[in-house]
Amino acid sequence: MPEIKVTPLGAGQDVGRSCILVSIGGKNIMLDCGMHMGYNDDRRFPDFSYITQNGRLTDFLDCLIISHFHLDHCGALPYMSEMVGYDGPIYMTHPTKAICPILLEDFRKITVDKKGETNFFTSQMIKDCMKKVIPLNLHQTVQVDDELEIKAYYAGHVLGAAMVHIKVGSESVVYTGDYNMTPDRHLGAAWIDKCRPDILISESTYATTIRDSKRCRERDFLKKVHESIERGGKVLIPVFALGRAQELCILLETFWERMNLKAPIYFSTGLTEKANHYYKLFITWTNQKIRKTFVQRNMFEFKHIKAFDRSYADNPGPMVVFATPGMLHAGQSLQIFKKWAGNEKNMVIMPGYCVQGTIGHKILNGQRKLEMEGRATVRFFFPPQNTSLMSYRFTLYFMLADWLCFLDVKLQVEYMSFSAHADAKGIMQLIRMAEPRNMVLVHGEAVKMEFLKGKIEQEFNCYMPANGETVTVTTNPSVPVDISLNLLKREMALGGPLPDPKKPRTMHGTLIMKENSLKLVSSEQALKELGLNEHQLRFTCRVQLQDPHSDPDTLHRIYTHLKSVLKGYTIQHLPDGTVMVESIVIKVSSSAEDPNTKVLLLSWSYQVKLSSSESILP
Amino acid sequence: MDADCVLLLPGVCQVLLDSGRSLPDDTTLEKLLDWLTGITEADKEGSLLEVHPCLLEFISFVVCKTSSDPSVISFTLKLCGLMGATEDGFKRLQESSVLDLAFSRQHWHEAGLWEDPCIRIGWIQGLRSMLLHSKALSFFVQADLTAQLLQLQTDTSLFVASAANQMLAHILLFFQPVMSAGCNTIGKKHWEDKRTQASIIGPGVTMDTSEDYDAVLAVTSKYLQESLVPKENTQFHQSLQTLKLLGLLLAQARPPLRDQLLQTAADPLEEVVTAGCSQLTLPLMDVVLAAYSSSTGEGVPDQHVARLLSSMLTMSKPADLIQAAAALLSRGHPDSVHAAQAVRILLLPLDLITGQALLGTNTAADKHRFSMVDQLKSKTSCISMICVCLTNTPQISLMPADLLPCPSASIVTAVLSLLRICSGDSSSSPAGCPEVFRNVISSGKVQKSALEALTGLSSSPGVKGMLIEVLAVLIEYLNHPDSDPIVLHKSYQAVVQWLSVCVDLSFTTDKLQQDLVEVVKKRVCDMRWEVRDSTVEFLGKLAGVLVSAKVAPDTSEVLLGGCCSASLLREALQDPESYVRASAISALAQTLAHSWQQGAAPTQQQTDIVSRLLEILSQDTEGFARRAVVQYFIAWFSSRSSSTSRSPSTSTCSTSPLLMNSVSTVLSLGSADLDWEVKVHTLELAELLLDEAFLGHRGYRKGSDTHLALPHPYAVVSDQTCTLHTHNRKRTEGMDSDLAIRLKTLVEQGVFSVLLSGLVDCDRPVSLKACQLLIKFRETVCPVSIEAPEETVAEVSCELPGWGWGQDISKTLGMTMSDQAKVADIAANGAHVFDSEDCKENVNKGGDSVCVRVCEVLRSLGLDAKLDILIQSSDHVHNSPLSLLQDILTAGAAHSHPDTQPGQEVIVDCY
Repeated sequence: MPEIKVTPLGAGQDVGRSCILVSIGGKNIMLDCGMHMGYNDDRRFPDFSYITQNGRLTDFLDCLIISHFHLDHCGALPYMSEMVGYDGPIYMTHPTKAICPILLEDFRKITVDKKGETNFFTSQMIKDCMKKVIPLNLHQTVQVDDELEIKAYYAGHVLGAAMVHIKVGSESVVYTGDYNMTPDRHLGAAWIDKCRPDILISESTYATTIRDSKRCRERDFLKKVHESIERGGKVLIPVFALGRAQELCILLETFWERMNLKAPIYFSTGLTEKANHYYKLFITWTNQKIRKTFVQRNMFEFKHIKAFDRSYADNPGPMVVFATPGMLHAGQSLQIFKKWAGNEKNMVIMPGYCVQGTIGHKILNGQRKLEMEGRATVRFFFPPQNTSLMSYRFTLYFMLADWLCFLDVKLQVEYMSFSAHADAKGIMQLIRMAEPRNMVLVHGEAVKMEFLKGKIEQEFNCYMPANGETVTVTTNPSVPVDISLNLLKREMALGGPLPDPKKPRTMHGTLIMKENSLKLVSSEQALKELGLNEHQLRFTCRVQLQDPHSDPDTLHRIYTHLKSVLKGYTIQHLPDGTVMVESIVIKVSSSAEDPNTKVLLLSWSYQVKLSSSESILP
Repeated sequence: MDADCVLLLPGVCQVLLDSGRSLPDDTTLEKLLDWLTGITEADKEGSLLEVHPCLLEFISFVVCKTSSDPSVISFTLKLCGLMGATEDGFKRLQESSVLDLAFSRQHWHEAGLWEDPCIRIGWIQGLRSMLLHSKALSFFVQADLTAQLLQLQTDTSLFVASAANQMLAHILLFFQPVMSAGCNTIGKKHWEDKRTQASIIGPGVTMDTSEDYDAVLAVTSKYLQESLVPKENTQFHQSLQTLKLLGLLLAQARPPLRDQLLQTAADPLEEVVTAGCSQLTLPLMDVVLAAYSSSTGEGVPDQHVARLLSSMLTMSKPADLIQAAAALLSRGHPDSVHAAQAVRILLLPLDLITGQALLGTNTAADKHRFSMVDQLKSKTSCISMICVCLTNTPQISLMPADLLPCPSASIVTAVLSLLRICSGDSSSSPAGCPEVFRNVISSGKVQKSALEALTGLSSSPGVKGMLIEVLAVLIEYLNHPDSDPIVLHKSYQAVVQWLSVCVDLSFTTDKLQQDLVEVVKKRVCDMRWEVRDSTVEFLGKLAGVLVSAKVAPDTSEVLLGGCCSASLLREALQDPESYVRASAISALAQTLAHSWQQGAAPTQQQTDIVSRLLEILSQDTEGFARRAVVQYFIAWFSSRSSSTSRSPSTSTCSTSPLLMNSVSTVLSLGSADLDWEVKVHTLELAELLLDEAFLGHRGYRKGSDTHLALPHPYAVVSDQTCTLHTHNRKRTEGMDSDLAIRLKTLVEQGVFSVLLSGLVDCDRPVSLKACQLLIKFRETVCPVSIEAPEETVAEVSCELPGWGWGQDISKTLGMTMSDQAKVADIAANGAHVFDSEDCKENVNKGGDSVCVRVCEVLRSLGLDAKLDILIQSSDHVHNSPLSLLQDILTAGAAHSHPDTQPGQEVIVDCY
C-alpha cells in the first residue's frame, strides 16, 4: 500500500525551528526551514545530514516550501541554499519573498554583533537565495513537476502567511504553517477548501488555550499605554522589524486619533516607511476593512507615528517608542531600555516570546537587578575607593567595575502576546473545513499537544511525532478511470435506480491501460479499439451418475428435475439431445464399460462459484 | 567554576528536581550541559561530583524518582554519563548505585518512559560520554548493553538510530587494539591469532579491556552478519543502518579490527551487492569504498573488496550504476581501472541522448547501453540520471587523459548539444535519441545542471577554442523567452567564467558581440527583478574579470560592442528594486575601476554618477543601495591610493577634487545613516583617510586591529611597528607642524566626528570599529606613553554638537551641557571646553555645540577600557553560566510564586 511519511527535523513537540520532511508518492518535500534563536552554534539550524545519506540535498528534495517570514520558519533558508548547497525549487508567497530578506538581514546584524560567530550567511547569500525563490499566488495550482503540485491558501498570522496543499496523484497533505482563524486589525482569518487531505499537518502553539477575545487584549494594551503616558512615563515596545509591530501601530494610531493624544509615538530605524511600502504593495493580503478603506485612507500611513532618533530617548515627557530587536538583546531597543529602566513611571511592553539569555527573557521572568556591560557611567555606581563601608560585595563590584555594573529595573514590565495563532477552537475549526483523514500536530509543546491529540482522536487518527520521529500513514488511493459514454448509457438502459453517490453499483466493462491512462469500456469496444478477435472460453466438467435408463431418458429426467428446482431460470430441452440451463449445456452419454453409468458433460462460459447448499444436482 | 555559580548550583538542581515547574526555555538544559561539559573537559582530573555533592544528589533523585519531566531525565542521563567519564566520577556513581539504575533500559521501560525518544537519546549520549575508560567498558559489557544498543540502531527516531550507530562505532574504534609495528597478517591468520600479536595501545585502555572489547566485537560482528542482507522488503531500514555502521567503522578501523570486520562482512556484502537493492546503493558504495581505501592503505587492495567494487560497477539497474559510479568519483577514484569504468558509466547517458559518441565507436563494451536507453525513456529517471552525469563532467574532464574515452572538448560539445536539445533544437544531435528528447526539453533542472557543468568545464584542457560555440549557445539561452531567472543567472555565470579563461577576444566574432549587447540591453529591462539583478551583476563581474586579467582597458566595452555598460548601469540606479540598485552601484565601481587606477580626470558622466550616488545615500529607503554607495567610494579611494606612489603629504592634493568633496559628504551622510552596515563602511572609508594622512608617520600601522592583537612570537615586526610606544621628544618642529596640519585636515573632513559618533553608536560592530580607529588615531597623534603632545598638535580642536552623539560624547567626557560656560576639569583626564578660533564660528551658529581639543578628547574617553568591553560579544554577560543559572532560578521562583496568574504565562510562540 502507498504510504505518506512525515518527519519533523524541527517543530516536533517543540516550538523551535520548523522544518518538516514529507515523503509522498515518491516525492520528498521540505516544509519550512527555520532557525532557533536560542542557540549561537550549529544547533540553531536543522541538521540535514539525517536525511541526505551522503548524497546531495538537491538530489534528495523535490522542493522546499516556506510558509511565512518568521525566522523560526525561514531563518535557515540562506544556510540551506547557499551553504549546504540545496539548489532545487523554493516556494513562498510574494509578500513572504519580499519581507523575508528584511528579517534575515535584521537577524544577521545581531549575529555579526556576536563574538566568534562563524558559519553564518552573508548579505549576498541572502540575496542569492531570494533570487532562487519562486513566488506563489493564493489558490493557484503550481506544478512543481509532472506529478507534484502545490496550492497556497490564506493563513492570516502575518502578512503573506500561507497554508499549502501538496498533491501527488490522489494522495495529498496540507501543511498549515502558523495560522489564525480569527481576523485581527490588519489581517483576515485563515481559510481552506474542503480538500480532504490524507494528512493535515497543523501547528498547535495554543493547543490547550481558548484565547480570550483579542479585543480584550487590545483594550488592555491601550489602557496600560494610556495610563503610563498620563502619569508622564515613557513606553518602550521592543518589536521585530515587521509583523505584529504594524498591528500595534494601527492600534495606537487609531487610539491617539480618537483620544486626541499629543504624546509622540516613534518607530525606530526607518521601518515605518519600509513597512508602509510592503503593506501598500500587498494590500490584497490584508483584511477586508483595510482593503475597503484603502482608497480613502491608507491605514499604514500613520499620522502620529514618527521616525525615531536616538537623541529623542533623553527628551523629557511621555512618549511611546517601537524599537528593534524584539527580545531586548542588542541595538536600539536595549539602549533605550537601559536609559529608561531606572524610572518606575516608565513601562516596557513585551509583545512576544523571548529566548533565554536575552534581557527580554530575564525581565519577563521577574528579574529586577540586571548585570550589564558597563560603559563610562559605571564608575558612578560604586563608592569611592577610600570609603570605609566597603564590604566584600563592594570589593567584588569594584574589581569588576571596568566592565560590569548592575541595572535596577524599576520600570513596569508587561507581557502581552499579540502573536496570531489558532487556539484549540480554531484548530478544530480548520479540521472541519479541510476534513482530513489523519492529523499530525507540530509546532507546540508536548503536554499541550497531548491534550489536543486526545480531543482530535475521537474523530481522526492523530499523531504528534517528536523531532526525528517518522509518522507513516498508509493511504488508499482512488485511481481515476475514464469511462466510455456508451458503457454508461448501456448501464443506465439496464434500469435500476438512478445513480446515487452514497450507493455504489457494480459495473462491468473492460479496463484498458494505455499511455498512462485508464479507461473502462464495453468488451466489444475494447476488442474494436485493440483490434482483437473475440474468442469464447468455455468451462467443462464431467460428472458420473448411476442410472439404468437410456441416455435420452436420463437427459429427460435431468431436465424435469432441473425444471422443478430452478424456478425462474430458462431451461430448454433441445432437439439435438442437450439440455440448456441459461448458457450451461448438459449432455448425457453412457460409459463404455458400464451402460448404467452415465457421464454428464457440463459446459458453461462464465465461471460461477456455488456454495454447497446451492448444488443443483440431485 | 566561579564562586557565584558554585553558590547557585544547588538551587538550580532543586528547581530542576521539581519537574512540575516548566523550564524557562527549551535550550536551557542543553546550555547547562554545555557548560558542565566545558568544566569537565577543562579539568579532566578532578571530579565535579566530589566538589559539588548536589550534582550526585540530583542525579540519584531523578534516576530513582522517575517522575520528573522527560527532558529533565534525559538531561540527567547525559549528565550522569558526563560525570562518569572520569574514573573517579565513575567510582562515585557506582558507589551510590546510580549507574545500574540510570542505564537500565528495563527501569525506564517500567516507568513508561522508554517510549519517549528524548529518554533514549539521553541514555545513548550518557553512555557515549562515559565510555572513555576501561571501567566504563566493563560496566557496559556486564550490563549486556551491546545488544540493547544494536536494537536502537533501527529505532523509529532518526536521531536515536543515528546516535546508536555513532555510539557503537565509538566503542569499537576508541578501544580498538592496534597491531604492533611491522606485523602484517592480512589474510594470513584468524582474528584470534592476530590478537596474540597485537599490542593494545588504544587511548586509556589497558590489557584488561581486551576481554570486554572482544565481547562487544563478537556481538556486533554476529549482528553485522545477520542483518546486512535484507530478508524482506521491510528490512531495508535495518540493512541501511547496518551499512552505515559498517561504513563508519571501516573508515577509521585499523588492523586487526579492520581485517576482522572485512572478514565478517565480506559474504553478506557480496550478497547485498548481488541482490541489487536500489535503496542501498549509496551506503553500500560507501562501505565498499571505505573497505577498498582501507585495504589499499597497505599497498595491495584486498582482492575480495576489489571484486565487490567491480560488481558495484556492473549492477544491472542503470540508475544504481550511475549512483555507484558518481560515488566512486566523488570519494576519490581508487584505481585507474575502476575510475575509467566509472567515467564510461557516467558519460553514457550524455552519449546516448546527444549521440556525440563520447565513448568511441566500440560501444559493445558498454553492456548497459540498452537498459540505459530504456531507463532514459522514463522522464523521472532520465532527468535524475542526466543530472548526476552532468554534475560529474567537470571532474571527469580534469582526469588524466588515459582514463578518458574522449577529449574534454567532446564533453563540452555534448553538453552544448544537450543544452540545445533542452531548448527545443535537436538539429545538432542527429545521432541522438529522439525518444528521450521530449524528457529533457524545457526541463529547468537539466538546463541548470548543464549550465553549471558548462561553467565548470571552462577550465578543462583544450577547450579554449570552443569559446565561440559556447557563447553562441549561452546567448541563445539568455535570449530565450522561456528561460527562468535561475537559468539566466547560471547562463551569465557561464559567460563570465568562459571569458575569464579565454580573455583573448579574437576568439569571438562581431556577430556574437552584437548579440550579447542586444540580449544584455533586453534583460536589463526585464520584468523580473531577479533577472535585472543578474544582468547588472554580470556587467560588473565582466568588467572585474577583464580588469583582473589585465586585458586592454576597454575590452569590456569592445566585448559589449561599444554599448556603454556604464550607461545601462546608470539607468539601473533608478531601479525600483533596491537589490538591483545596489548591484548597479557595485557594478559601476567595477566598471570604472580601470579609469580610477589610471588617475584619469572624471568625465561629465562620472560626475553625474557621483551626484546620483550621493542622492541615493541621502534618500534611498533601503540599506543595500546605501551600503553599496559607501563601498563605491571606498573602492574609488583605495584604487587611486594603491595606484599612485606618492608622498602622503601630496596625495590629497593630487586626488580628484570630485572624490575629496564627495568623501566629506559620504562621511557626514554615512555616519548619520540608520543602517549599521552603512556606518561600518563609512568608518572603513574614514580609516582610508587616516591611512593616507598618517601612513609613514611614526607609530602608525595600516589595519584597524593590528594594535589590538598581541604580536605573534615569530611574526615579522616592521620598523613602523617598532616605533609604536617608543616615541621620544627629539622630533623636529617640521614634523609636528606637519602632523598638526594633517590632524586639522582630518577634523575638517569630518573624520574625527565620524569616529566619535560611531563610538557611541548603539550597534556594537560600529562602536567597536570606531573605538579601534580612535585608539589608532590617539597612538599616532598623542600617544599615552608621552606626557603631553606637542603644542601645535595639542591645540587642534573640534566641535561637538549639542545633540545626539555630541551630547553622548560630552556625557562620557563627564560634562553636562549646563556646565559649558565654565571650564571644568571633571575627571582626572577630563577634556577642556574652550573658545577656539577654529570652531568659534560654528559654535555660535550651532548654539549648543562646544569646542574640545582633539588630543584631550582622545585621552579622556577611556578608549582602552571601552575596547575591552566592545571586543566581547553583545551577549557575553547574558550568555554566561551565571546568567543561565540565574534565569533557571528566577523562572523556578516565578512559577512557584503564589501571585502568578495562569493567564500571564509566557507562551513560547514564534519570532
